[in-house]
Amino acid sequence: MDIKNLLAESKARFNHNSAKAYLAEKYQSKLIVAEQGGLWKANAETILLLNSFTSANLVLVDTFNSPVKVDRQQLLEKLQQIYETTMEQWYTEWQLLESKR
Amino acid sequence: MTRGVILFAFNTEKFNYYKMAEYAAKRINHFLNLPVTIVTDKDSYPADTEYVWDKVIKITPDKNNTRVWGTWINKGRWQAYEFTPYDETLLLDVDYIVNSSNLLKIFDFYDDFCCHNTIDFLMQPNAEQEKLSHYGYNSLWATVVAFKKTNKVKNIFNCMKMVQNNYEFYMNLHSFNTGIYRNDYALTIALSIINGHLTDNRDFIPWNLLHIGSNTQIYKSNENELDSEFTVTFDNWQRGKIRKEYITINDLDFHVMDKELYVGIIENGK
Repeated sequence: MDIKNLLAESKARFNHNSAKAYLAEKYQSKLIVAEQGGLWKANAETILLLNSFTSANLVLVDTFNSPVKVDRQQLLEKLQQIYETTMEQWYTEWQLLESKR
Repeated sequence: MTRGVILFAFNTEKFNYYKMAEYAAKRINHFLNLPVTIVTDKDSYPADTEYVWDKVIKITPDKNNTRVWGTWINKGRWQAYEFTPYDETLLLDVDYIVNSSNLLKIFDFYDDFCCHNTIDFLMQPNAEQEKLSHYGYNSLWATVVAFKKTNKVKNIFNCMKMVQNNYEFYMNLHSFNTGIYRNDYALTIALSIINGHLTDNRDFIPWNLLHIGSNTQIYKSNENELDSEFTVTFDNWQRGKIRKEYITINDLDFHVMDKELYVGIIENGK
């Protein structure tokens, strides 16, 4: 039996909350990046922190709780690029899910 | 610097673990582009296999572990350190379905060893983290382990061997009674001993290990063996009735706990 028939016969309903949780799980891991000797999450907090300084180098605590001295601009650009790409993919998949509502 | 994956697979009276390993290996080659070594025994390794392994290591396994459904040949995982032909190794369970390139990231950030310390269940949110006992350690997971050949890692695997050989003592010490030997628990205890009973975040993979748990079924969405889309269904019990729910997933790795389900995926995937 193919999957469409199986879902139809069992009267299975699409679960938006589970799908939303699955997307969050998937894309949270894609936001993680190793760079300049540390492990970072390309999230709003880290990007804003990097953006709020002007110095060339900065010491940040990475996701392993280790202090790492980084080239601020270089890390900022890398995290922004990963953030944009990943969030765009997340949004696209989310839109597809919403259309099933 | 060589990189590769090592799998352990020993057939039992109920399940063909070699077949599971072959399916896992094809996906590893496809999504991670890494060579795969198998550790198996002469009874499991079929003469007519078409899959080309990077290396086949045949051993005599310890069959002294029994679950409700029969023998579970999972002892000896500590030998991965000794058997791996690679400088950097991913040790995976054969029922872990590689469905993305995410695991490659591990090579970018780990020191010399890492495994999962947190889990989640697809379609079952807010799952509790497993503990060895009510007041024991949170369990680590031996499903995905990345390691390099260093002294520290050698000590971790030797310690796993020591825990395996003295499992009853450690069951009493940590107040758990699973009745069966579990690599997850042996790894938890071994890593704790090696780290001086302290926790080092650098030993952990910074995302969850995703399980397909109870009341959950998973099917390939189409017949292509290497396709990344799966349909997950969940039996949601409400007022004594089952309400069937589903989602579709792709580009996400997961661990199938129910071997019958895994066999279903393999058979449906060809």
